[in-house]
Amino acid sequence: MTRWAMVIDLDKCTGCQACTIACKVENNIPHGSPEEQRKQRDIYWNKVIAVTNGKYPHIQTFLIPMPCMHCEKPPCVTVCPVKATYRRKDGIIMQDFRKCIGCKYCMVACPYGARNFNNKEQEIKPYHRQDPPPEREVRGKWPFPRRTHGVVEKCTFCFHRIDQGIKDGKKIGVEVMPACVEACPSEARTFGDLDDPKSDVCRLLSSRVWFRLREELETQAKVYYLTK
Amino acid sequence: MKLIYTPVEFRSRNYIILLIILACLSIIGFIFFVMSYIEGHHVFGISNRVPWGMSIVITIFLIGLSAGSLIISSLTYVFGKEEYRLISRIAVFLAIVLIFGAMVGISLDLGRPEKMWRLFMFFILNNMRSMFALNGILYGGYFVISFFYLGSIFAERAGWTKKIGILAMIWAALVHMGTGAIFGFIEARPIFFSPIKPFEFLVAAMASGLGLLIIVVVSAFHFASRPFKKEPLFSLGKLLLGFTITLFVFVSIDKLTHLYSPYREPTLWLLTGPFTWLFWIFQVGCGYFLPILLLSHPRTRNTISGLMIASFSVVIGIFFERFNLVIPGTAHPMPFYPGKIEGMWGLTGSYTLTFIELLMCLGIFSMMGLFFILGLRYLELLPFIEKRKNTEDK
Repeated sequence: MTRWAMVIDLDKCTGCQACTIACKVENNIPHGSPEEQRKQRDIYWNKVIAVTNGKYPHIQTFLIPMPCMHCEKPPCVTVCPVKATYRRKDGIIMQDFRKCIGCKYCMVACPYGARNFNNKEQEIKPYHRQDPPPEREVRGKWPFPRRTHGVVEKCTFCFHRIDQGIKDGKKIGVEVMPACVEACPSEARTFGDLDDPKSDVCRLLSSRVWFRLREELETQAKVYYLTK
Repeated sequence: MKLIYTPVEFRSRNYIILLIILACLSIIGFIFFVMSYIEGHHVFGISNRVPWGMSIVITIFLIGLSAGSLIISSLTYVFGKEEYRLISRIAVFLAIVLIFGAMVGISLDLGRPEKMWRLFMFFILNNMRSMFALNGILYGGYFVISFFYLGSIFAERAGWTKKIGILAMIWAALVHMGTGAIFGFIEARPIFFSPIKPFEFLVAAMASGLGLLIIVVVSAFHFASRPFKKEPLFSLGKLLLGFTITLFVFVSIDKLTHLYSPYREPTLWLLTGPFTWLFWIFQVGCGYFLPILLLSHPRTRNTISGLMIASFSVVIGIFFERFNLVIPGTAHPMPFYPGKIEGMWGLTGSYTLTFIELLMCLGIFSMMGLFFILGLRYLELLPFIEKRKNTEDK
């Protein structure tokens, strides 16, 4: 069995937000206007938070990139009444826009704030891609028929890239990886299979000290952080 | 004393005017609902930080009123307390009207209301571990049961009424406890997460349902110019006092447990932050203290005006109890990592009621008002007491 996971090295992260931008570009997420930003309505599938502890001059700042944690025991899947959000066999938590009724219960239940509500129909400009890549003929059945308002969306670990990579026989995590991993200039992010002992993810997790966010909730997140 | 139920013959022009105003407001609400459906939910005050807004507040408030009202009706039909018979028919009818309003409220909140049927595909397309899906069973069953209940009451089949009444009472309690479980089982939100929530919701339902029932019955008798006995209402006032005190105890236990645990920031923020006024004045003052004072003071507890003010303040207080649960419960930023989260991700969520949302909520209330006054006009809901000698009022 494969279980996709991501390891983020906080020692390497510089907080440049390249992952956020790469995610927006890859998944065709609308860039919010300043007004939407002020009203906290803009959509981020990946965010980078800065957490400070202490007071000047004894202060420490953590920069923590937060994609969806793709929990092993996801609270969002438990609460979804219509099975619109579900766990794939490879551990990716998916959101099916066709089934989603927009009740927002998953947004309330998610302890990581990873979920966003699509509040309005996105305007389509000539330079906007209307569908995430790759093209429909190549990717086959796609759970997102069209970006539509009134549904909840979230990070998918760029599952379309992974699926395509497996089809092409490429090595996932080395040749093919999610957009945020690819874009990270300091190579803070690593993507791979938790159940494959030879993967980079397993090597890092066995050699470094790691933690997961909000472990007290027992969600068993599959995004691991290496400490500074 | 024999009660004869007759439709109220509203002949005055004011009735027609009220009917037209309510119908217009409902239509305006519906137009704005269609607009929000086409435009998307950015016309509401909700955001990614506060996903549930006024329509959910109103929905759980109405479900509570409905369940409470149905439970109160069982005083007559299940427990055989004849003195409350004059309010019981109206209570069941009110429960149906209110649950209908609540269902409309849920569909206003859904991002894709056209897919609402998916909520009711039990065990086929639904994830039955979800509290929402379980509540779908409860709400659907509640609708059916209360219709049968009202039918058997109209048919005056006492045996059937008692059997269905027992089922309806239990089911109504389950409905509102299930609604409480929607919030109480969410561990990620500390203000929601509490095992006591279903019971708190049940007591709140009975208190607010009884409060609304007293208001509705007194005003219906008043506007229909029919005499009524006051004593049953005063004993219902005592019941209301009991419910309010129980509710106050439940809410205090809930807040105190949250304050006792080391992670107490969200509840402290609720009690002292921007929701201070809403919490202390409207929820605690209006919902608990004023009615407890009015219903226990010997000078006000046996007057209709004291009872009415107490009922009003209970209903308003419980509305703000719902508001203070739904909005601050999600607005407080989650502790992703120990420490102070800087920038926009550490801000508390904001919620402002928009004009469109306000009109939509007004639309729900006017639609229910419309159904209710039409029901009074065409159904045999309000009793007429034959022996005028026994009544002191009017």
